[in-house]
Amino acid sequence: MCYFEGQGYYSTEQSLRLRRLSSRVPNQNAAPHFDWGSSPEGGKDDGEEEPRNLRELAMPLYMKKKVWQVQQMRIPVASGRVRRSRALRLFYAEARNALAMVTLWRRAIHKIGGHFGGGVQSYFVFLRFLVVLNFLSFLLIAGFVLIPSIVFHSLPFNTSISHMPNTTNITGLEQCMVYDPNPGALTVFYIYFLDLLSGTGFMEYSYMFYGYYNNTMVVVDESFSYNIPLAYLLTVSFYFLFCLFCIIVRMGGVARVAVATGGGAAGGYSMMVFTGWDYGLQGGCATRLKQNNIRYQLQVDLEEERLKLKARSLTLLQTVGLYTLRGFLNLIVIALILGAFTAIAAATTFSQKNQRDGIVGLLLEYLPSIVITVSNFVVPFLCDLIAQLENHNPSTTIILALLRAVFLRLVSLAVLLYTLWSNITCENGMDTGCEPCSYNYQQYQCWETRIGQEMYKLTLFDFLTTIAVLILLEFPRRMVVDNCSNKLIQWVGRQEFLVPPNVLGLVYAQTVVWTGALFCPLLPLVNTIKFVIIFYCKKITLFHNCRPAVKVFRSTSSNIVFFLVLLFGWILASTVLIYSMAEIHPSYGCGPFRFSSSMWSTIPESFQNLPHTAQDFLTYIGSQAFSIPLFIFSCVLLCYVAALASVYGKSVALLKAQLKLEGRDKQFLVKQIEELQKKLKPKQDPMGPMALSHDHVQATCDPQDSYSSSPPLHSYALD
Amino acid sequence: MYNSYCAIHAMLTCIILSCPVCVCCSRRLHGRYHELAPHLVPMDYTRNPDVKVPLSLIVNMPELKENPFRNRIVEAFSEDGLGNLSFNDFVDMFSVLSETAPRELKAIYAFKIYDFNVDNFICKEDLEKTLNKLTKEELTQEEVDLVCGKTIEESDLDGDNKLSFADFENMISRAPEFLR
Repeated sequence: MCYFEGQGYYSTEQSLRLRRLSSRVPNQNAAPHFDWGSSPEGGKDDGEEEPRNLRELAMPLYMKKKVWQVQQMRIPVASGRVRRSRALRLFYAEARNALAMVTLWRRAIHKIGGHFGGGVQSYFVFLRFLVVLNFLSFLLIAGFVLIPSIVFHSLPFNTSISHMPNTTNITGLEQCMVYDPNPGALTVFYIYFLDLLSGTGFMEYSYMFYGYYNNTMVVVDESFSYNIPLAYLLTVSFYFLFCLFCIIVRMGGVARVAVATGGGAAGGYSMMVFTGWDYGLQGGCATRLKQNNIRYQLQVDLEEERLKLKARSLTLLQTVGLYTLRGFLNLIVIALILGAFTAIAAATTFSQKNQRDGIVGLLLEYLPSIVITVSNFVVPFLCDLIAQLENHNPSTTIILALLRAVFLRLVSLAVLLYTLWSNITCENGMDTGCEPCSYNYQQYQCWETRIGQEMYKLTLFDFLTTIAVLILLEFPRRMVVDNCSNKLIQWVGRQEFLVPPNVLGLVYAQTVVWTGALFCPLLPLVNTIKFVIIFYCKKITLFHNCRPAVKVFRSTSSNIVFFLVLLFGWILASTVLIYSMAEIHPSYGCGPFRFSSSMWSTIPESFQNLPHTAQDFLTYIGSQAFSIPLFIFSCVLLCYVAALASVYGKSVALLKAQLKLEGRDKQFLVKQIEELQKKLKPKQDPMGPMALSHDHVQATCDPQDSYSSSPPLHSYALD
Repeated sequence: MYNSYCAIHAMLTCIILSCPVCVCCSRRLHGRYHELAPHLVPMDYTRNPDVKVPLSLIVNMPELKENPFRNRIVEAFSEDGLGNLSFNDFVDMFSVLSETAPRELKAIYAFKIYDFNVDNFICKEDLEKTLNKLTKEELTQEEVDLVCGKTIEESDLDGDNKLSFADFENMISRAPEFLR
């Protein structure tokens, strides 16, 4: 217990200092110096500063205990305010710890990051974000649309009023109102299974799809009424806004890191050398892999430098030739992508026109999904082959490949949707079935349900493809590589987990879900289950079948790219949503909006039923008297934030310059001291053990020397 | 036998370090420390024995065994600079290496680890040794020279061709793993 019994603190410190000076081994515990003479500054901040200061001191433990004792003796009795702020701080720290504990899949993702690096880990973090987003969306939809519908379906009939706007004239439109989704009562079992896969049959007229919901306003008693169509519309709109909000918040967090670190581009080599090693790695295998990674990354960086130098030294003729080649190859890539789009459009039109039963019918229904998946495999593969001819440096190649893949995926989905919509609204001019009902009644008795089914099929097919690739490609590949010692097979090697294609797959799936959410309210739930299963499957395949990528994927700047691409998907889905809500006439035979002229028109009608004050308030908000000042205020806020950002940037640059100047100061002072020592040296006797080396000569200088600029700087230099 | 001395020691550690090492972890750490050298480390710390476990036994711990910097890590936390750790130093090492240690502390010790010749500067030789440990000496000498040159060029602010702690901390503070 001798640490706690009192030697005088100052004498201990002095003896330590003397011990440091006289030892032959240069002092290696030099660290930011703790100022024993400091007194606590007022009662307010002290409670917060001291534990932090203590934790941050790089001293051995027994020294920290002494410091702590000194502080405990010095602080006046903590006031109530200090105690409360301390308690609050502890509470926040505990809450943050508890929240970190509850984070989904925390350990698994940590393990993945340890074995495979930040790039692969960022994929799984992105997947987790999407799972949570989809689950929360499902809760939203369930709470406001699904559960009320279930409740009201079980209520007696006379409590619900059919919501029919008085402006519609439905004479002559009786044929449009026929909707018969129920098949015959007796079905063969495998048809039941086919129905599950394609969303028809028993699934079509169920809570799964739009067509089942009623356009009723339920009045339970005088005070409570629930307008289901309005709830449906507002819930879906709010769901989209909620997703946008989540994406922007996450993007803000990720962007903050990227901006602060300069996008990872600056200081590449020193970052790699000093922060490249993961001290949490265990096991010889992981260590060797990490060493290989670091070596490969450094070699790639050096190679890039060499290529850049070479590119600068090309003659004019060679440059022109290179650019012509690149332009030609880009044309080929564009042609490939356009070919894929044409194929998708043709497949969609064909599939919509021909309906058959049984397995053939199922294949026909899945034809658009099949074509999209095939093109998503084949076209990027061909583009990669072409990219090797283009002779860019490695990072540009990766970025180009990513851009092309993003373009292919999102625009192919857009082509599919456009084809579907033009079929529904008869814009391709070939069908004349749009006349009475203002949508293509011949093909679609309930077009919203049909769209919902298409999105459901796309989701399901994407899921089945992922699982099939896992089982049929990755596991066999590993078994072949492990058991066969053929040179060629060993050269091909195990599967590598490529992050960009996987992330694009997630973005594509999420965009499909967003597009389908209006027409298939349970799709977020389906997607949550799908993503959870995909998480576990990908984790299993990662650990069993994959080798760590030799090319390490830089995770900081690419995280922003993932969220940007997700945002593009959101924009595509919301365009579709707005167009469907505002332009196309809802089906007469099904759904909550059956007799409205458009889905959006529910809102103005419900508006009339609001109390007068609410109406006035909402009118005021929508009017120019409110929106123009709001717009001006937003502009002012934007300018303020931009000015703040630029000021911070400038102050960072100023501080960096100051840091350089301080360094120069230090060198100047060190030189001065050396000269002084040289002048003093001939006058003094030959030294004892005190002044053996250069460093120790400086250490004997009086800390209160007038040359010293500031104590912390001094201690860095002279300890 | 885990006695009252250790309990108080652990509690104080806990308070001082604000729980990167808590009471139960301290007990486990003592167990680990004991099993490194059972004949050397007593279970009973009441008499406050001055016991130090030598470097060669500590670097065989599974957490450190494969780490290329294991020798430097242990040396940085030892008082005599030769790698012999007392129990306090042992606890220190694990508390700094834990996830919850503040990043400034980690930066200080990282600097010490990479400073092979212990002169409070990371000079070109230190960098070469670091790089060789990182890549298992598989880079050519020319590549090593290039990378070291570029590293110093990127981080050296005061122009003395070596990295002081200020340069190192400035560069490290931009690393994304250090931004919490």
